[in-house]
Amino acid sequence: MLENQIMIRAGMKRHKGSYIGIGILLFLTALSLTTVLMIALVGNSYIREEMERAGFGDLTAWASDVPDMEFLLESIREQEGVEGAEVQELVFSEYEANGMESDSEGQMIPWNSQGSEASFGDRYRFFQNNLSGYAKAPEEIREDEVYVSPSMKSMMDLEPGDTITFPIARGGRKLSLTVAGYYEDPFMGSSMIGMKGFLIAGKTYEQICSVIEETGMDALARDGGMIHIETKSGMNASEMNRELTENTPLSMYTEFIHSADTIAGFMAILQNAFCAIMAAFAVVLLGVAMAVMGHSISGLVEQEWKNFGILKTLGFTGRKLSGQLLVQYGGAMGVGIILGMLLAVPMAGMVSRMTVTTTGVLLPVRFPLLPCVGIFAILLLVPAGFCILRLRKIRKITPMAAIRGESDRVSVSGTTFFRNGLRAKGLTFHLALRQVLTGRRRYASACLVAALLVFFASLAGRMNSWLGTDGKGMMDAFNPADLDLGVQVMGKLPVEEMEQMVLSYTDIIDSYLLAMPSISVNGTNYTANVITEPERFHISRGQTSREADQVVLTEALAADLGADVGDSVTIRGNKGSREFTVSGIYHCANDMGANLGMSREGYLSIGEDDSRLWCYHYFLEDVSQKQAITEALEQAYGGDVHVHENSWPGLFGIISAMHLMILVLYGMSAVFICIVTGMAGTKILDAERKDMGIYKSIGCSVRMLRISFAFRFGLVAAAGAVIGTMAAIGFTDPVVSTVMRLAGISNFASGNTLGSVLLPGGIVILLFFGLAWLLSGRIRKEDMNVLTAES
Amino acid sequence: MADTILQGEKITRVFRQGKAETKVLDGIDIKIFEKDFTVIMGPSGAGKSTLLYSLSGMDQISRGRVLYRDQEISGLSENRMARLRAEEFGFVFQQTHLVSNLTLLENVLVAGYVSKKDSAEKVKERAANLLRQMDVEEAKDRLSSQVSGGEAQRAAIARAMIGKPGLLFADEPTGALNQANTREVLGLLTDLNRKGQSILMVTHDLQAAARGNRILYLEDGKVCDELALKPYNEMEEKQRERDVSQWLSRLRW
Repeated sequence: MLENQIMIRAGMKRHKGSYIGIGILLFLTALSLTTVLMIALVGNSYIREEMERAGFGDLTAWASDVPDMEFLLESIREQEGVEGAEVQELVFSEYEANGMESDSEGQMIPWNSQGSEASFGDRYRFFQNNLSGYAKAPEEIREDEVYVSPSMKSMMDLEPGDTITFPIARGGRKLSLTVAGYYEDPFMGSSMIGMKGFLIAGKTYEQICSVIEETGMDALARDGGMIHIETKSGMNASEMNRELTENTPLSMYTEFIHSADTIAGFMAILQNAFCAIMAAFAVVLLGVAMAVMGHSISGLVEQEWKNFGILKTLGFTGRKLSGQLLVQYGGAMGVGIILGMLLAVPMAGMVSRMTVTTTGVLLPVRFPLLPCVGIFAILLLVPAGFCILRLRKIRKITPMAAIRGESDRVSVSGTTFFRNGLRAKGLTFHLALRQVLTGRRRYASACLVAALLVFFASLAGRMNSWLGTDGKGMMDAFNPADLDLGVQVMGKLPVEEMEQMVLSYTDIIDSYLLAMPSISVNGTNYTANVITEPERFHISRGQTSREADQVVLTEALAADLGADVGDSVTIRGNKGSREFTVSGIYHCANDMGANLGMSREGYLSIGEDDSRLWCYHYFLEDVSQKQAITEALEQAYGGDVHVHENSWPGLFGIISAMHLMILVLYGMSAVFICIVTGMAGTKILDAERKDMGIYKSIGCSVRMLRISFAFRFGLVAAAGAVIGTMAAIGFTDPVVSTVMRLAGISNFASGNTLGSVLLPGGIVILLFFGLAWLLSGRIRKEDMNVLTAES
Repeated sequence: MADTILQGEKITRVFRQGKAETKVLDGIDIKIFEKDFTVIMGPSGAGKSTLLYSLSGMDQISRGRVLYRDQEISGLSENRMARLRAEEFGFVFQQTHLVSNLTLLENVLVAGYVSKKDSAEKVKERAANLLRQMDVEEAKDRLSSQVSGGEAQRAAIARAMIGKPGLLFADEPTGALNQANTREVLGLLTDLNRKGQSILMVTHDLQAAARGNRILYLEDGKVCDELALKPYNEMEEKQRERDVSQWLSRLRW
């Protein structure tokens, strides 16, 4: 027992560099994996808990222009599957802040602190202005104040003190409110959700309602409510939706209706997608850590070969020696994993605070004990098992063979290959190549690590290039059809007049109309993308809905409905219902991909036409005029026109989060490369001290030896980069598409620009080369006494 | 008297470990002459190898200076020292010290390419000739682990000679060889010397020492004595060995 202690202590001391390296790798792996797990698990459960606490029910319908809300509520409550229903009053209105116009209508919700059921006083939690934590709820919201979701900061750069303007009615009847602070909205807070809630004072709400009533047809805002419906157990939201559509007048007033699951999905979509990517990265890191550990073990065994022989002559068995090494590696891994998991707690808190402006909620920091124990076990047992396999060779050592120096050091055989292998020209490179080819095992881990990291960096890079600096990839994924500019004309403004203004800036190359009414498919509400030119849909399978009795579904909706191309679905609009044939599958990530597309003729067979329904989508000759046209239209027609581009404000928050995540991935990769090069390089330099002395003795300069050493890692990284790049070309799209489907994006296809293909590999090669060069500074200090007879 | 090729003045080498100091070379003045086969002998720990490596610039000296062909080389920059080793010095070690993943031929070629004295083609030609001369031509495409110790050492000599060195340093070149290989290697060194190659060799082997024409005896970091011999002649081998032995006996070796 005591001998084990001495040996383990001595081993830890002698190879502390390797153990620290392994510890750091496992630390980073555990840190990222635990952080991701905490955010993913806590994120989903917290949102559901908050929705439940706030009493949002199992199904929520957004209704407007309801003549008798009490009657509607009663009719809902009378349904068999309904446990209860209550309404949260609100006003729908467009809004503008910091020079940006809203893409979707905002919902002004009256709030007071008294906590009565009507005002839902304790429904919401309020943030400190710096968003670092919660603050006490205000005593009251003043009439000129508004509280907004933190995601408004990333969407419109809204901060306390800024002003939001709501056009309530024509004739300049605007309401300007000052942002007093942020509140947590577990219902619509994420920047992935276009519609946003604004908490206002009860009196302000009443004033707005008066203006709406007063102005009648000239009102731009609409009063309405969120009807939260609690279902009886056993009743699912889809069945409930169907029951309500069939037996109550709810669908006549419904803007949209979503189940709690759908809303929670919307809310958690970003963290789920990012967590999936980060979890995949953490798995890659584990693979890298194991590759490095394999190399470390080989190097250590090679270095200690003779000592193992000596120890065996003293009575140590191979099992005992491997056990001692296992304890040393296990100790390093265990410490790294535990520290990583412990640090994940503040890290998750930090990530939560950093992402609150995108997710809209401040995720609590909870340590999910059981899953974390599972992670600990996986992170410890998988590498430990690998370690045991690699340490088996110690058992094969016979004492005298080891003492005589018959080690398992890199042995090279065969003669043909080596004949005339060296060239005078490029000698430095040729020597490096020879070292790599003859010492393949020593460099295998570096090659594997390079391949894995290049694969992941390429994957991240290709996602980045798909996203683009302006988020075009994401925008295209969310739009059913391309456009340069969309203009929705409301009120009395003639379309011709609006178009004349557009034409005064640039020619219109092409145009089409798009409407997004709510319809129900087989009894469940969805949004329809109704288009005048169905061939503009992004079809991935089958054909577009050219005929009036055809529709196209997204992959997600097709899966929900269990329908495929050629099947029939029953669609109900506000005029009637009929059967449509699914002519194809298209992609549009709106509503998490649960939507359908149809022609104008098709929609008009089941829905009422309304000029305010249609948005005019234009392709402009001079796209750079978009901004000027938008400003001119808004200035001239104010609330009568809604102009939008191929974008929405929340997109930029998502793009920032995505770019931040990619930066984190690159940063982690760089750290791993540093550690891998450091560990592998040190071992190789240790093993080649004599060779370095020999080269020096024949006149090789230190510079030449250093370059040659760096070349080796460059060559190995290049081999890894080729493998990683090929893997990225082959697997990026299927892997990322799987993750993107969580967000309803089914058409991920990364770009193949020369830069995106070659850059990650190039960076990794340069990093390996550069770090190896730095590390090789040791060669300068290598003493040639290593060659002396007396040494 | 022949010209001085290498000269050491007041060479002192002190090894420090913590506060403890060990003076291995103690102000040695030494001259090595052109075309001589100089041998350094002495008891273990006398500093023979340290002197060899100090003179050849493979190790740094604590005090004193070293001149090669009247040019001071102690204190040369790392790069200039590397050039000097490539162009003017050749080394043969006790443990052959061939690069393990290069063939014998490649070990020789690398040294030739690094010296940059000749074109690549000429280096190849000279390497082939040297290996033939050293009688390892057949093994030239093998790795050092695939040949005998004698073959490896002969290849090491070829490597040391490829750059046409002004001075060949040999540190116990026969220390790890059997009797037959020792004779072969000593024969090669003797032949080289006969052709005008200056050699400075450290050895504790009497048979090897007898090949030299000048033997220096080192003890306690100082050159204590010196024995001058006629150039080597096979016919007088036994007599030379006896002379050297008697001389060493006088020095209580």
